[in-house]
Amino acid sequence: MSDRAFDHATEAFAFIDSLDDLISPDDVVEAVARTFSLFGFENFIMTGLPNPKERFEQVVLLKKWPMGWFDIYAKHDYVRSDPIIRLCKNTTQPFEWSEAPYDRMTERKAAEVMDRATDFRMRDGFCLPIHGVNGYEACFSMSGVDLDLSPRTKPALHLMAMYAFERARRLLETQSPVAPSLLTPREREALIWAAAGKSAADTGEILGITERTVTAHIVSACQKLEAVNKTQAVARALQYKLIQL
Amino acid sequence: MTKVHVITRDNRHLYEDPLEEYFRLRHEVFVKERGWRDLHRPDGREIDAYDNGNAVYLLALDQDHVVGGQRLYPTVMPHMLSEVFGHMAQRGIPRAEHIFEWTRYFVIKERRMGRTDCRLLAAVQEFCLQEGITELTAVVEMWWLPRWQQTGFKVKPLGLPTVIEGQPCIAAAITISRESLDQVRRLAGLRDSMLVRDDQMSPVLERVPHVAA
Repeated sequence: MSDRAFDHATEAFAFIDSLDDLISPDDVVEAVARTFSLFGFENFIMTGLPNPKERFEQVVLLKKWPMGWFDIYAKHDYVRSDPIIRLCKNTTQPFEWSEAPYDRMTERKAAEVMDRATDFRMRDGFCLPIHGVNGYEACFSMSGVDLDLSPRTKPALHLMAMYAFERARRLLETQSPVAPSLLTPREREALIWAAAGKSAADTGEILGITERTVTAHIVSACQKLEAVNKTQAVARALQYKLIQL
Repeated sequence: MTKVHVITRDNRHLYEDPLEEYFRLRHEVFVKERGWRDLHRPDGREIDAYDNGNAVYLLALDQDHVVGGQRLYPTVMPHMLSEVFGHMAQRGIPRAEHIFEWTRYFVIKERRMGRTDCRLLAAVQEFCLQEGITELTAVVEMWWLPRWQQTGFKVKPLGLPTVIEGQPCIAAAITISRESLDQVRRLAGLRDSMLVRDDQMSPVLERVPHVAA
């Protein structure tokens, strides 16, 4: 093994060990910014991948993004057209931004988001997809203009990114397990009637909506609560005090 | 209801059929699906040098059919990390009587969306806690790490990721703990023990041959 590769390994393990001592999400931002800047990274974001009903702003965990870019990105809902996000959903391996395919001719908005990012010194990037259990999907995407990305640095970056993401996720989870506004009023209602032993058909009649709509609310609540079925969703909603009987 | 059965040399005669199915599924998953062609065997049963009397299998069975599996092997014996993947553990290979290697983990395709993963993960924590196994070592594809972490596993990397068969993989050590067991159960909504075991089974640590590590 070359000395340089060994250096990256030592650096990566020291970084990972140091994460345990961080006590707030801001500490993670700072630690990541410091260490990843050694590889040329200027900006990064750790975010969940929003389902069609979620907004991008709701699922962001941590970010160090240039002033203004976040607002533009959210306002234009770029998360739905971003080729980086798209590739994240379809691969488990980290990739360089340049490896995320899109068609400049037919996917105008995809080209737009990549072009406008360049205006904010987010020219090249490296992205780590996260695929957890219960359908949890997220990514850690980082960027800059002069990146040290090579077969020597990538394994260390890959490993550090994964641990940094986990530390952030864990710290945010303890801060607030689930935001109170997580469920819509209709989703809460559907769960309350489920907790009372009503079927989706019964609930539909009570609320004056179709059984299909009730089921859609339950499914959406299951996703938000990372529950595998209705029973678990009810249990979690009670546990997090999102519903009361 | 899916339960995880503990199979050792003491009781393997009671599990002839599931074990046969298990070796065939391993071939299906690791050779056909993942493309680890080195493991290919003409009879369609993936069996290696570590499928011997020292191995402990934790198989997820649903109505007598295997839906997932995993294998534990003593690290004081020559094992995969010491014999094959040593270069991946730049920080050293943990070896002790109470440390086991964890290999050949899989869930069949049809069950990957459900709770079978969590059942297997809960089972391995529970079994190790019962047996006094304090740590597991494993070589896994990197994408497994966030899954483990999300389920509360405490994972220490033993080296940097290395590409094997086109996939970045890592050697890691997992600390067994009650908190990890509680977390994976909480996440999957599993209330009770997943394990089915023979009360007569001799303790695993006492069966490990005493050899110099």
